[in-house]
Amino acid sequence: MSTSERHALQQQVTLLELVDRVLNKGVVLSGDITLSVAGVDLVYVGLRVLLSSVGNLERLANEAPPRAALRSQAGS
Amino acid sequence: MGSATGRAPVGQNGLGWYVYGVVDAGEAQRELAPPTSVEPAHRVTLVREGTLAAVASKVPLEVFTEEGLRETLSDPAWLEPRIRAHEQVLEAALAVTSVVPFRFCTLFRSDDALRAFLGERRNELREALRSVEGKIEIGVKGFLSGDRFAESFAERDEAARGLRERAASAQGGRAYLERRRLEQLLAREVERFKADAAHDIHNRLLASANHGVLNPTQSREVSGREDEMFMNAAYLVDRGQAFEPEVEALASEYQERGVTLERTGPWPPYNFVPRALVEA
Repeated sequence: MSTSERHALQQQVTLLELVDRVLNKGVVLSGDITLSVAGVDLVYVGLRVLLSSVGNLERLANEAPPRAALRSQAGS
Repeated sequence: MGSATGRAPVGQNGLGWYVYGVVDAGEAQRELAPPTSVEPAHRVTLVREGTLAAVASKVPLEVFTEEGLRETLSDPAWLEPRIRAHEQVLEAALAVTSVVPFRFCTLFRSDDALRAFLGERRNELREALRSVEGKIEIGVKGFLSGDRFAESFAERDEAARGLRERAASAQGGRAYLERRRLEQLLAREVERFKADAAHDIHNRLLASANHGVLNPTQSREVSGREDEMFMNAAYLVDRGQAFEPEVEALASEYQERGVTLERTGPWPPYNFVPRALVEA
């Protein structure tokens, strides 16, 4: 893993720590608020996208290049 | 930002309040001056009602309504800077006063709606503010390196040492059996150690905190770590209290058994909002 990749990974991990709090904790209200329960579910859709991008970064960092190349060949 | 040109300006009716948190109106006389907001075209301000003030900024409701969010929330490029902005605004508030943080994307349709909320829920909000007054949140995560644990366990435990020696000196099927027994012993010990360590570390940190919570641990894929997370805690501590030395002391004590403790914060007290204000 290069220094810039490591830095990117660190950034993502910090984001994860943040997401864990900002999306899962704090005052949660219902009522006269435009974001409905369905909207909250949408936040989690976005969260999953973020998390999967963290997962992808991690895999990229760990995966041996030949395996990745094999996979992309198999996919084409 | 993007709506500044090529589109009719969004009228008052098109804007709602995005609320980051609530502070004491009297305590927050000084400007909060956060460097950002979730929609940089609209700056963060205090919306006061009685002794409370919402830390809020205007947002175009067309973007933040359910329909608008359907598109944007699945887009990390949209979501990430706004999640960071939410936190930065709360950190700016936390630098000046105590704050009760709200969850991401808490919106009110109008001035009246926000003020009515602050009025109706003033008792719960005041109680929430009182409970976090002068306090911050610190996160502590515990990770265990399986290899380092196995190494230290084999050194300490006679049975494990015996199995290891026999596995090393035996051959063929016999060596295989000894290795299997060692692996099984280790697997049991790792589970027991993780539970005991989380319990012990949490209890000792609680002694230096006002409150603490143990949240579910994250999988390796989510945590992005090679070591397994066995503890994911948050503590409410007095500002300026020497909590770090407690964490450092535990980290040193547990280090040789393969434990790494990771401390984060100070955070706004996300994990310590009274139950009455969490209507999930």
